Amino acid sequence: MSFAISKRILVVAAASLAVISATPRAHAQSRAETLRYVTGATVNTLDPNIPGSTREAFALSMSSYDRLVSFGRKQLNGKWVFDLDTITGELAESYTVSPDGLRITFKLRPDAKFQDGSPVTAEDVKWSLDRCVSAPILGKSQLLTGSLTSPDQFKVIDPLTFEVTLPKPDKLALPNLATVYPIIINSKLAKAHATADDPWALNWTKENAAGSGAYIVETFKPGEQVIAKHNDAWNRGTPDKPAAFKRLIIQSVPEPATRANLVERGDADLVIDLQASDVQALEGKGKLKVISTPQYNAVSFVSMNNRIPPFDNVNVRRAIAYALPYDDMFKAALFGRGAPLFGASWTDGKPPSGAYPIPQPVKLDLDKAKAYLKDAGMPDGFATTFSFNVGQAATAEPMAALVKESLAKIGIKVDIQKLPDAQMSTAINEKKLPFFTEGIVAWLPSTDYFYRNFYTGNQRWNYSSTDNTELEKIAQAARFEADKEKYEEEGRELNAIHFDQMFQIPIWQAAQDAVMQPSVDGYVYQFTRQVDYRNLSRK
Amino acid sequence: MGTIGAILIRAGRRFISSLPALFGVLVFTFLLMRVLPGDPAVFFASGPNAGKEEIETIRKQMGLDKPLPAQLGIYLYDVGRGNLGRSMMTGQPVAKDLRERLPASLELTLTALLIALISAVPLGVIAALRPGSLIDHGVRLFCSLGVCVPTFVSGLLLIYVFYYLLGLAPDPTGRVDIFTTLPPSRTGFLIIDFLLAGDIEGWWAAARQLMLPAFTMALFVIAPLARITRASMLVSLGSDFIRTARSVGLSWWRVVVTYALRNAILPVITIAGIVFSTMLGANVLVEKVFSWPGVASYALDALLVSDYAPVQGFVLLMATIFVVVNLLVDLLYGIADPRATIA
Repeated sequence: MSFAISKRILVVAAASLAVISATPRAHAQSRAETLRYVTGATVNTLDPNIPGSTREAFALSMSSYDRLVSFGRKQLNGKWVFDLDTITGELAESYTVSPDGLRITFKLRPDAKFQDGSPVTAEDVKWSLDRCVSAPILGKSQLLTGSLTSPDQFKVIDPLTFEVTLPKPDKLALPNLATVYPIIINSKLAKAHATADDPWALNWTKENAAGSGAYIVETFKPGEQVIAKHNDAWNRGTPDKPAAFKRLIIQSVPEPATRANLVERGDADLVIDLQASDVQALEGKGKLKVISTPQYNAVSFVSMNNRIPPFDNVNVRRAIAYALPYDDMFKAALFGRGAPLFGASWTDGKPPSGAYPIPQPVKLDLDKAKAYLKDAGMPDGFATTFSFNVGQAATAEPMAALVKESLAKIGIKVDIQKLPDAQMSTAINEKKLPFFTEGIVAWLPSTDYFYRNFYTGNQRWNYSSTDNTELEKIAQAARFEADKEKYEEEGRELNAIHFDQMFQIPIWQAAQDAVMQPSVDGYVYQFTRQVDYRNLSRK
Repeated sequence: MGTIGAILIRAGRRFISSLPALFGVLVFTFLLMRVLPGDPAVFFASGPNAGKEEIETIRKQMGLDKPLPAQLGIYLYDVGRGNLGRSMMTGQPVAKDLRERLPASLELTLTALLIALISAVPLGVIAALRPGSLIDHGVRLFCSLGVCVPTFVSGLLLIYVFYYLLGLAPDPTGRVDIFTTLPPSRTGFLIIDFLLAGDIEGWWAAARQLMLPAFTMALFVIAPLARITRASMLVSLGSDFIRTARSVGLSWWRVVVTYALRNAILPVITIAGIVFSTMLGANVLVEKVFSWPGVASYALDALLVSDYAPVQGFVLLMATIFVVVNLLVDLLYGIADPRATIA
């Protein structure tokens, strides 16, 4: 009896094993034409303009919407990255900038269609850009950086010609139109869903895509997945943006170890947010393609609040700059994956370039640090806290420990403070943290842009609470500087002030590690620090 | 009939008496969230150019620009109408998010509880029958291991062995293989929906996906269930009526299962009820490791970014479930031990 039962169990077990191992891969033939991208984050809206949109939402919108123009790509140390200086037409077939730089005229593609089949007209472009500068949405403050502020600047010449006028020549006007926010929306469709309270149909576009992009969203489950299919009528492709995949799956997988397993087993095609240690291991195994690009439009800092004592003393800031164990931090936090911004040697102590950021001539030198502390009148050191947010714990935690250890050697006692992300942003916004690590990113990385946005004003992104009239004056002048030589010179001046005053300490540009199947081709590091799915194809 | 009526009346009364507690939870969570440092508006206004204006827009959108009592009043009024607010994180109404995610959590927790009960009760009984024996020690060791190993470790371990090394389990990403077409949603429980749709292949895909996370969770709760079964079986087996039953020569099965186990099962039901409620809220690690779209991971994500509405909605939901589960436990008491209905 008991024997019979166990035999039956065995048979059942064997049968189920057989079924498990012979899993029929549903849609097996289309698997090769599908891109399965896994991420720890999530797409939370289909309209990237909605306040609170995530970076994954930005990335999706690059594929579900078109813009007037788009960035090209260039090679940087053998890796493809987006190119701010090559701007190609997307919905615009061509564009011309008037000689005085005050008028940009766009010729629209006559054959461009929205995903519902209606043609894209200059009226749609006007409505979309009007919305971007008038509605309470994210695009407003972005376009402001390109002198685009009012609907009066946008003019329909004829159904296929559109004109943008500028108050003064601004080199960031055109690049701004290629960023995430100025999406071109099917205005008829959107207007049909507008209400008196919501004239720009924000509530509707949040959950419905009404664009002309390369991919049509089929399933949108915030926090879980987005599935999109290729828009066969899309003809805005270029050799580096073929939009070759037939189907796109963007799936949220919160656990980084699971993401690593998925891509290693071949179940996922691409992931860009693995832990540095996992990337290292996967690269070592050599089965997958790993493309590490230093995030050249982002910078990580050890930041000091220049208004809170003792960091209001420039010599204290200099002391810290020479007391950080840069090499150890770089290895422990990033496994050396990125571009260091320390350890440079500047001839005559002058910045070699006007670019931002550039490697600083700082290194671990405790004697120098002690001397600066003495100059500051604090030879015995002081006590402070060093804060970082939970979301960055993987890199910031080992870093904080090393900072604490090293600063103890010059008498500075550091308490490490780990804050939940929202709490950290609030404290930074209220300028309450004396000493912390944070990062910045600029979509349109140019020297004046960095200095204007991250070193001026009483606002959140001015981490160091810098208030330096000279710096501000030069940065504002550089914004509208047309002469390249002069611009470079101004950049150099800014860099010199930065190093002299040591507002905060740029430490590195972390690499973005894109780990993908060997068959996936065409990856480009984008300004959004996300994947533009249209770049990709399968060999 | 009379008994059922009495049970229902009692259950109804119990439910009504728990309403003030629910209200208290509601207000308390509301205040707690506001007391926590961390301004959601600043966090969500984190585009590369977001300045003061964006922060103000979001603050207004979240209703945070009004004074606290007004916010509370609006919130209570909304909750009364079944509107739990909108999540900034997912951009969806919280009630909709919870409605979609609760079945996922329930499906996982119930399966895990079932697995745990099916293995824990026999283990406890066997251990109690031979106290101090090798089997007893074996069960103790197994239970200790289950409790000692944190769920995310056992989860990652199971993934490593069954998915990564052996390739037996499907990829641990959510409730069903991503290439499977979903059945029309009737109950929200995928394994039931697939059956209703008559899609056996889909059902199998969902069931396979469920196995690893369910076992991970079950491992963790087998211990308390098995231990409590053992303890209460020991008491029951040593009591007079068992001695009498044995002395009159009743069969082993009748003595152990009908008399001893039925008397010993009450504390097990109590613990199972508590374990269930705890699992539902505390299985966040399992949900994270297996990308399970459940309510606990949703609430944790919301908490990290100070997204008030989802956290408040989640706590309210958990409190309600706790009340309902306690009621169910009471009802089960009545079935296991008829004397309990009178009390």
